[in-house]
Amino acid sequence: MPKLRHIAIAAEDPDAMAEFYKKAFDFVEVGRPNGVLADGVFLSDGTLNMAILKFKSDQLGKGMDFRGIHHFGVLVEDVGEFSKKLESLGAEHYIDQGHGGQQAGYFEKKFYGPEHVLFDIAEHGWAGAEPLPAPVKQAAE
Amino acid sequence: MAKLRHIAIAAKDPDAMAKFYKKAFDFTEVRKTDGPLAYGYHLSDGTIDLAILRFKTDQLGKGLDYTGLHHFGILVEDVGEAAKKLEGLGGRHYMDQGADRIGGFEVKFYGPEGVLFDVAEHPWTGTEPLPVEKAEAAE
Repeated sequence: MPKLRHIAIAAEDPDAMAEFYKKAFDFVEVGRPNGVLADGVFLSDGTLNMAILKFKSDQLGKGMDFRGIHHFGVLVEDVGEFSKKLESLGAEHYIDQGHGGQQAGYFEKKFYGPEHVLFDIAEHGWAGAEPLPAPVKQAAE
Repeated sequence: MAKLRHIAIAAKDPDAMAKFYKKAFDFTEVRKTDGPLAYGYHLSDGTIDLAILRFKTDQLGKGLDYTGLHHFGILVEDVGEAAKKLEGLGGRHYMDQGADRIGGFEVKFYGPEGVLFDVAEHPWTGTEPLPVEKAEAAE
């Protein structure tokens, strides 16, 4: 089964917000993304990647001053297969993120689901996130 | 370490949205809810609770017509201790949710920039509990 492995928060001051969650919950800093889409801090609780980001474009259509939880990410086995499935269910493809450059491994494809809720799907895990569990057959070997 | 175990989405039509995520990712419906705060569904990927809810009050100050990601939840060992720590760091206590919460008591806080989150010491339905500490596991 695919796994929720990423949550992104839109922040005005990602450094201050990241400090709060590091101190409050002992989340570990695992990266400092500085890309085309956003700058900020990646934290991890050992299972999920929590991205605290200052976005550079209005991906949600809620304005550049939107603050709050922005999108989530789902780790899947095969991005191509899931893309087809999502489109057949009515999701709207937003953008692809390539394999090269600083963003590699953070996400692969962004979709808008029902009510324009934005999410990513990736088959290469976000920094500090747990991989997909091994299939039962493989784990039993 | 505390663990992110809950993500809540504000939806106008939780029925349709829940159906989408069940079909898209095989997330399992673990319960339907219709409490004082919200109507909707709790789905699970086996680790995290994905709540798809039509809220009955404006918890974010963005209006009742707001749709999108709403709040997240963190599973902690001790809610009382976590609450004290959060207040010490400038977190603002919003409300407690007690007897009517399936699974037990949780506390809602606003963190920096008004971001809302819950802390709970009883796992959300269908989610993984906190990992056993290494020292305890070795016994």
